[in-house]
Amino acid sequence: MTLEEQIRSNRIRTGMLVLCFGLVFVAIGTAVQALYGGYALIIIAAIAFAYAIFAWFANGKMIASWTGARPVTKEQYPDLVRAVENASIAAGLEQTPEVRVVDDPCPNAFAAGGSPKTAYVAATTGLLAMMNKRELEAVIAHEIGHVRNRDVRLMSLAAVLVGVIALVADLALRFAFFGGGRRRNGNPILMIIGLAMLILAPIAAFGIQMSLSRRREYLADEASAETTGDPEGLAMALWKLKQDTTELRHANRATAHLYIETPLNNVSGVRSALSGLFDTHPSLDARIESLEKMGGFQLSALTGSQPALS
Amino acid sequence: MIAVYVIVAVVVLAAIWAVLIFNHLVRLGNEAKRGWSNIDVQLKRRSDLIPNLVEAVKGYAAHEREVFEEVTAARTAMQQATGPAQAGEANKQASAALGRLFAVSEAYPQLRASENFQKLQDELTDTEDKIAAARRYYNQTVYQYNSRLQSFPDLIVAKLGGFHEREFFALESLAEGQLPDVDFSGGTASQ
Repeated sequence: MTLEEQIRSNRIRTGMLVLCFGLVFVAIGTAVQALYGGYALIIIAAIAFAYAIFAWFANGKMIASWTGARPVTKEQYPDLVRAVENASIAAGLEQTPEVRVVDDPCPNAFAAGGSPKTAYVAATTGLLAMMNKRELEAVIAHEIGHVRNRDVRLMSLAAVLVGVIALVADLALRFAFFGGGRRRNGNPILMIIGLAMLILAPIAAFGIQMSLSRRREYLADEASAETTGDPEGLAMALWKLKQDTTELRHANRATAHLYIETPLNNVSGVRSALSGLFDTHPSLDARIESLEKMGGFQLSALTGSQPALS
Repeated sequence: MIAVYVIVAVVVLAAIWAVLIFNHLVRLGNEAKRGWSNIDVQLKRRSDLIPNLVEAVKGYAAHEREVFEEVTAARTAMQQATGPAQAGEANKQASAALGRLFAVSEAYPQLRASENFQKLQDELTDTEDKIAAARRYYNQTVYQYNSRLQSFPDLIVAKLGGFHEREFFALESLAEGQLPDVDFSGGTASQ
């Protein structure tokens, strides 16, 4: 697939995402209507429509407030801003996206917003502290890769739409169990189907989210390797991220797929084989391996002399 | 009568197809132009910074005349260069001369401690990084553009439309100008 095909496919998927969002809300509306009656379907559909329009334009700002990403200037963070400028030039973007910083000791980064003109790149203070210039540039080039590939609108919309589906379904379920329904004597089969739909809605939403993210990470890694000409730098950065075990404070399920590394897997303990199914990211090992193939090098040869970070 | 329809249809299709190719070539050419202007901006910034740097170093190491002359000559070459190929050569020359100037300045601790010098050094490193970044994008775009111009059938439209191949900028190796499109098929990664 060329870059143009990738961009086109992202456009189509964005359309499909909005459509799926609509369908899930019609399902929720139908379920609530079955449980409570009244004009639930129309009201819920109208609210969902209004929310989708709002989300289309404001997703970047919404995500910024959820994650605590604040805009910064070149004077405050010269190295970061330069890394974003250089990566944008190398990727051929028409302008440098806005730069934001999240005050959090956990190293991570993401890009959000709409078109390349309204997108922004955010890095945590932990990332800035951990990475050297070369690694930081590789990580930022990964995020700029998402901007260039037109992933950000799709991923940002997925974040704000998925988040709200989970929230609404959860609320409706709570009412179904604890609040007094007006139509307690409704058709029991309809009510069971309604409940099932409410339980399934967030699962469907996460399915939508997961179908979007994994392959995109490989593509953004490739974009980084291509624009910096330095797959080793990114492999080193990913290796450092792998060593790290601090947890992102503002992490939540809805925004997980935005980050360069999943912010949620830092839970120690045994991970079952099944948990891989619900990951938003491919494993760092798989991504490093893919970079090694691309650049024809062995990461162990680069890191062998260094003591592992802990 | 049917023959006339067929001929008209073929001519119309050929015209549409030629227009599509023409537009694609124009778009690629514009990308290359934009890529070049990114390099050009940084080259100008670099040659603007050089006199300030020379002045700053002169204040502490006035007798290192040879290096100053070398740097100034490289700057003149940068300003007089016409076209990407020449500019690339001049830029390489400037990098080498600046490298020597910075090596010389190592011997003057007071100079290295001066805030002005540090700032200039920082700015020059930044322009160098940006030139490198812009170069990668530009050369890749030029490679795509040139190979379209050389290949059939675009070749015909290019000849009729007066398209010309563009020069590469400071190609470091032949392989650099031949960066293939990134393989987006995901073949490198298992999922």
